[in-house]
Amino acid sequence: MKPLATVLRRSEAIEAFKSYGGSIAAVFPIHYPRALLRAFHFLPVEVWGPPGVDTSYGAAHLQPYICSVVRNALSFILSGGLDAADLFVVPHACDSLQGLGSILTDLIPSRRPVIPIYLPRGRRESDLHFLADEFRSVYRRLEMITGRSPTEEELAACIQHEEAADALLAELHHNRRSLPLTEGEFYRFIRSREYLPVETFAELAGEVLNASSPTEMTHARGDDGRVPIILSGIVPEPMALLDAISQMGGAVAADDLACCGRRLYPIGTSEDPFRRMAERLIYALPDPTRGNPIEERLAHLGQLVETSNAKGVVFYGVKFCEPELFYLPILGRELMAAGIPSLTVEVDINDPLPHQVLTRMEAFLEMIR
Amino acid sequence: MSIGGTLWYHWNVNLVGPAALRWARWRGERRARSGAGWKSEVLTPPLRISPRTKELVGRHYLKGRHANLHGKVAWVTSGAPLEFLTALDYYVLYPENHAAICGTVRVVEEIASEAENAGYSRDICSYARTDIGGVLSGKTPVGRLPRPDLLLACTNICQTVLHWYQVLAHHFQVPLILIDTPFVYSEVADHAVAFVKRQLEEAIPVAERVAGKSLDSERLEEVVRLSKAASELWMELLERCQHRPAPISVFDQFIHMGPIVEMRGDRGTVDFYAAMLEEVDKRIHSGVGAVKNERKRMLWDNLPIWYRMRYLAEFLGQHGIVVAASTYTNAWGELNHLIDPARPIESMARTYIYPILNRGTGDKLATMRRMIDKYHLNGVILHSDRSCKPYSVGQMGQRERLIKDAGVPALLLEADHNDPRAFSEQQVANRLSAFVEMLEV
Repeated sequence: MKPLATVLRRSEAIEAFKSYGGSIAAVFPIHYPRALLRAFHFLPVEVWGPPGVDTSYGAAHLQPYICSVVRNALSFILSGGLDAADLFVVPHACDSLQGLGSILTDLIPSRRPVIPIYLPRGRRESDLHFLADEFRSVYRRLEMITGRSPTEEELAACIQHEEAADALLAELHHNRRSLPLTEGEFYRFIRSREYLPVETFAELAGEVLNASSPTEMTHARGDDGRVPIILSGIVPEPMALLDAISQMGGAVAADDLACCGRRLYPIGTSEDPFRRMAERLIYALPDPTRGNPIEERLAHLGQLVETSNAKGVVFYGVKFCEPELFYLPILGRELMAAGIPSLTVEVDINDPLPHQVLTRMEAFLEMIR
Repeated sequence: MSIGGTLWYHWNVNLVGPAALRWARWRGERRARSGAGWKSEVLTPPLRISPRTKELVGRHYLKGRHANLHGKVAWVTSGAPLEFLTALDYYVLYPENHAAICGTVRVVEEIASEAENAGYSRDICSYARTDIGGVLSGKTPVGRLPRPDLLLACTNICQTVLHWYQVLAHHFQVPLILIDTPFVYSEVADHAVAFVKRQLEEAIPVAERVAGKSLDSERLEEVVRLSKAASELWMELLERCQHRPAPISVFDQFIHMGPIVEMRGDRGTVDFYAAMLEEVDKRIHSGVGAVKNERKRMLWDNLPIWYRMRYLAEFLGQHGIVVAASTYTNAWGELNHLIDPARPIESMARTYIYPILNRGTGDKLATMRRMIDKYHLNGVILHSDRSCKPYSVGQMGQRERLIKDAGVPALLLEADHNDPRAFSEQQVANRLSAFVEMLEV
């Protein structure tokens, strides 16, 4: 499909943005205020691992019981993979990312500033108030780093762009079955939101949505007779997973992935830009790393299953990820009680897709067909 | 509460139980005086106050066993601000302490496997698995744990507790109060302190509603005052280890830290630590050390390895090594200056945001270096604790800095604070032997 052919790779997007005088903020998972960074002319480029790096660099600083997302991220930095970054942003998603932020601040000398962001674990007024203040504090740090002071209007304009792009992203998710994209293509495209400038992504998303047609969908995805499932977890790495699901006769009907479906942020309502950015994150879909209760997650998963007609849920976990691991027994049990079968598999994102995982998924798809 | 329930509670908690515990204490003290039963060539017998520790902790769990008959029960995380709950007369239970007891009496494997069989991964914290396993099976070495009416999770020790308490809240279907303490990467931000204060203010009405009574501000001040006094005494006790030989080791500190963790707003805790301090001072005056032939002094970083404390104390003691200080036990005393009974909520907000586990890796390194000087230490043992990521992440860099920048020998010891299945005795022995050889003792 034409728009997909024009999607830049991460390194190309970085190079292109820098060539116009912009700066790069390497951002670690999961939630952060994109608009705030863009207001200071930083392009946020997210770092979810990545897979396939030499982990010996990270292994010199992190114990083997730290998850591969964090270990790979540190390895990537130390091996020069993020040399193009001018700034590191480390949102607080878990104890391991907290450690990464702290190590980068204190123990590993770097010429680049590190901005940690604490995300509160609730949806109370006090959480909202704090997060808005936290973003104000980040604003002041960025002011000091860049010497720029974007006005409230400039910030509001950036927020508006991000909200519009997120609305398109949500539309892509919603209409995924009528898009002329294979499973792998769909996820590669929506994950380009992790690094493309918002304008570029919005333009491409519009083109993809315009090209949607039920006929093409059937042709490209071969959805006839495929078993629709919900994919839940942190990140669908290695990405070969998605094509493997297709080949096994499955189709991802919707997802509850931290890097994808859990980041379909609502539009903010406040006139205050900092509070508005906080609202978008606080009131986003349930995510264990933001402390949302099990009941909310269950309700959300149930709704995803219902609206997408999925036949089951696959919990695709990253080894050692406590925020996910704690809830799996209850989620699995309660889903089963509601007549929704589920499967839990675990991977290390640096390893090739284990055959054992594929066999289990194939058996699961066969069982729920 | 029924009349029968009240009578049963008083019969067990105020009459029969205490009498049995006093009897056990008397027997323990007699044995301690005679020195009978102590078999170590290198370690001094335990403090004579040890039977009283057992009595105090035993009494706490005895109350807990019958607490549902008497009043409201709160389960709280170990670093949580419990003072307002104590002032509201909650019986306060610390699942982490209970899990540590399970660790010391070596029943973790049996209890945690109940959680693992229910689907909880062995990659999650072993305290959590022990607690969840106990909840699911009812297994506990303390007889019975009371059902909570309220849960209080404070993220100042880790994010794990939030996930763990979400599981408990779902299981028990009771309110969960969250005190979220933003991590302190370098300096505490004013808006973070304001956030914690606001949450404390919001938590009180919830706790009042569950307790069915209002918080008395004078009572809260009194509890905070006792909490501060206990914390000061605890710190004094630790500071006595600046003496050579160190009168107690961190293994003694670990054994006697139960009251400061879970009973810190009680008058009994203050009295207990005052008595312990007296005994420790007597040891100092008599020149008695925890290790009989002290030659080198170590710092311990991270939680204890509850199920192998005696083994480690003996192993190190044989080489004349005393572990005289620990960042972990230090955490329960180092912030006492921040507590202000006249401004309980505000000072609690500032205190509870700042424990070592909620501070950055650089701050922890600085704390270690300060302690090395203060306690005249020759090396550091960093327990890389599989179950405690916030304490352990950064240790590899900290070790390197200690060795390169401060010239202090440091060892990273892989284990788990509560799960013996993650402890390889031979591997630990090899690493400790090599470390000891390097120290030239």
